Amino acid sequence: MHSRHIFRVLLVVVALQTAACGGDGPAGSSESIAGLKVYRHAMDQAPSTLDPVQASNIYANHVALNAYDTLFSYKYLARPYTLKPNLAAGFPEISEDELTYTIRIKQGVRFVDDPAFPDGKGRELVASDFVYSIKRQFDPAQLPNGTWLWIGRIVGLDAWKEAGSDYSVEVEGLRALDDYTIRIELKRPYPQLLDTFAQGYSAIVPREAVEYYGKEFASHPVGSGPFKVISYDTAKIVFERNKYYRQEPVDIWYEGYDPETQAYTGVEAIDGRSPPFIDRLEIDFIGEDAARWNSFTKGNEVQFTVLPNEQVDQVLSSKHPVTFKPEYAEKYNGYDVVEAGFVFNAFNMDHPEFGYRDDPVEDHRNKLLRCALIKAWDWQARNESFYFGLAKIYPGIIPPVVPEYDPDLSRDSVIRDVAESKRLLAEGGWTKENLPEFVYGSTSGIKTRLFFEQIRSWFKEVGYPPEKMKHKQYATFGDLSKAWRNSELPYVAKAWGLDYPDAENTLQLFYGPNGTPGSNDANYKNPQYDALYEQSAVMRSSPERTRIYRKMNRLVIDDCVAQTGLSRTRIFMWHKNVIALPDRQIVGGFFLKYVDLKTDDADQAQVN
Amino acid sequence: METLQYILRKLLTGIPLLLGVTFISFLLMVYFGPDKTYELLGKSATPEQIEEVRHQLGYDRPFIARYGQYLKELATMDFGHSDSTGEPVSGLLSRTIPISLALITPGFVLGNLIAVLLALVAAYHRSSWVDRFIMGFSVVGMSISFLIAIIGFQILLSSSYGLNMFPVRGWNMSTVGNYLSYVTVPTLATVFVSLGYNTRFYRAVIVEEMTRDHVRTARAFGIPPARIFYKNILKNSMIPIITRVIFSIPLVVISGSLLIESYFGIPGVGKVTFDAITTGDQPVLKAVVGLTAVLFVLAQLLTDILYRAVDPRVTLK
Repeated sequence: MHSRHIFRVLLVVVALQTAACGGDGPAGSSESIAGLKVYRHAMDQAPSTLDPVQASNIYANHVALNAYDTLFSYKYLARPYTLKPNLAAGFPEISEDELTYTIRIKQGVRFVDDPAFPDGKGRELVASDFVYSIKRQFDPAQLPNGTWLWIGRIVGLDAWKEAGSDYSVEVEGLRALDDYTIRIELKRPYPQLLDTFAQGYSAIVPREAVEYYGKEFASHPVGSGPFKVISYDTAKIVFERNKYYRQEPVDIWYEGYDPETQAYTGVEAIDGRSPPFIDRLEIDFIGEDAARWNSFTKGNEVQFTVLPNEQVDQVLSSKHPVTFKPEYAEKYNGYDVVEAGFVFNAFNMDHPEFGYRDDPVEDHRNKLLRCALIKAWDWQARNESFYFGLAKIYPGIIPPVVPEYDPDLSRDSVIRDVAESKRLLAEGGWTKENLPEFVYGSTSGIKTRLFFEQIRSWFKEVGYPPEKMKHKQYATFGDLSKAWRNSELPYVAKAWGLDYPDAENTLQLFYGPNGTPGSNDANYKNPQYDALYEQSAVMRSSPERTRIYRKMNRLVIDDCVAQTGLSRTRIFMWHKNVIALPDRQIVGGFFLKYVDLKTDDADQAQVN
Repeated sequence: METLQYILRKLLTGIPLLLGVTFISFLLMVYFGPDKTYELLGKSATPEQIEEVRHQLGYDRPFIARYGQYLKELATMDFGHSDSTGEPVSGLLSRTIPISLALITPGFVLGNLIAVLLALVAAYHRSSWVDRFIMGFSVVGMSISFLIAIIGFQILLSSSYGLNMFPVRGWNMSTVGNYLSYVTVPTLATVFVSLGYNTRFYRAVIVEEMTRDHVRTARAFGIPPARIFYKNILKNSMIPIITRVIFSIPLVVISGSLLIESYFGIPGVGKVTFDAITTGDQPVLKAVVGLTAVLFVLAQLLTDILYRAVDPRVTLK
């Protein structure tokens, strides 16, 4: 009697809740979709915003680039990464002095339909939209975070900001000559300029949508990209195909297709067809590895994952080269890719404990201390302990993903040598009594704690007293970032993701004028390095520039500024019925417009 | 009339409480809390840009002005826009709280109801193997972390390694069938973990009531055990039970369940709150802190009124 009553009550509760919350669930449930090609992607973190003006991290970039267009992008399949025109009709005309760029954009490109436009009909994208989008990066009210890419570069743009960021005022060096022509005038040559126009920061937004939605524009994208956002929350984002997206058949050979290494992906099937090929793109934000793996292996949920560390031994039959066990190889495609970026630890040279000293003798002692701690560092153990031995270790700050990488550079700086470390400490007169306190700053968490304990054990072995080593934990990444920007920590442990495939992007991390709160957290100031940086900063890619880059790399190693470096290897896995070569760096979210599903999978979506 | 007067009086006395709670929480979580400035800066910044962002976020305003603004927002229930997504905070909460309620309520209700039933059985069979079995089960529930329970149930019921009966991730309430499909596994995990704590607590309360003199007297009079349990034991046990249940409600409403939402991909308020804390999204933080304080005041009021309903000896004066 009682149980029946309870059951009735529960039914009422269920019915009431369903009625109250009612309507459709989040529009991501592929079960309710019939006759559509639905691809479910997974990311390990949600983007904090969809507004290109704040697309500062890989997640925001990944998502925003599917809703918006950029002038340039990277070829889908080519490695090393190769720039190509996207919304631009071709590569720009560049003046002889490399200060004036004339870029023509494609005609007939439309923004998606949205209430921000009159009658809700998307209008044509024109050159002034690009000008407006870049200007936003110089308008403090927009809280931009891509300003650093163009600050001090474009004639009149910094002055425009100082004068109050009035959009009705024209910027001399950033103009729309007509609806389809952009003219950019630089203060000095900027060889990476076109790369900056391939990033989410420079994605093109319509002014009326920014003004119509105000702050809500960050969650209401209105772009001209391959997809249109139809729902977005903390768990997932759902796109549908942009029906206005321009018809541009794919030439896989132009995109860099290599049949020897890429045939297994099935991308030949998209040759000659115009993307996007799927009707609906869903991206689940799944921070928890176990949940992402369960969803991926379930079969009818997410179709892509980065192989979680916990599953490496379960899935791989060999690590060098990476191969899957037969039961996984049968069901999934995959490949391993070295990240476009690196992990490094730098001494903050502004802190007298390890950095610069006015007294040359003390300065030299500090250098010996830094060199000793670099020799005490064990990259191989770090790799084995935390990256399953899959990461790539190399000397210096030029990672393997860029063409300027030097595979022949001496590896002395990344090989642990306890005896040499002790010798250097002794040479500098460093003893247990006079060694400075070593503070390791990180966000709070088990992994960072383990990092610290591992470092402590290495340093203890060379005579560093454990009680002099402290772990300072910060509640959020923002708090840690604040400590870096304010030069509060004597030692900076961080990772850097490349913005573009050019070593300049990592070399600028040690350029003197970029000291805190800029990107040079090490506050490294070497006049020779700075002069070389300034010399190379205006040079196009050439053997001479590569030679300069490598010289700068050598200076950082010789000055013992940082323990560096390691580039993590990620293993991407996707279901066999997905036609794609996934990526998450440099190419970023661009690849999603090329994803297709095998026909029987489209049928399966209907069944589901 | 007496109840109405009591409610008004309690609401008035709740105002200083509310001010105190909001002041302390504002001080700790907002004024000294995470700084969003450095989340919003790009990969490289100048001192001027840092100042610009701080100005845009209102961090350069005096404490009193910021707290006054907060009280105004609380009074008007208009907390502005999220610093991250730009979404109006009111819209964000009204979108996510119903989802969290729909997610958590079944587990919350079942977890308490089943716990009361188990506690009654255990108390009735005190010191027997039935009691020991139920208490042993409770200890197991208490000993297993929520995270392990979630992963365990997910693997067991949702994944291809287990029964594969339910979705691993997602949320859909378009039909009762869909709702049940998505809510079942999270509910089972919630019930499994909450049963341990609840059952032990309720059993202790009920056992204490069972040893009262009036219960012994009732037994001596030959009143049937079921009636004694309902009228003399269960009803008298209701005050601590009500207190526990009612004071859990604000947390259920506002906090949702971060772990459940994260692991099952459910866009509820728990994840929103967690993200706001970790990224320093102050408009959302202020709303969550303020609403939690208001709900606790209301919960206290409701608890007092329910005390009176279950125990006429309690006065509302």
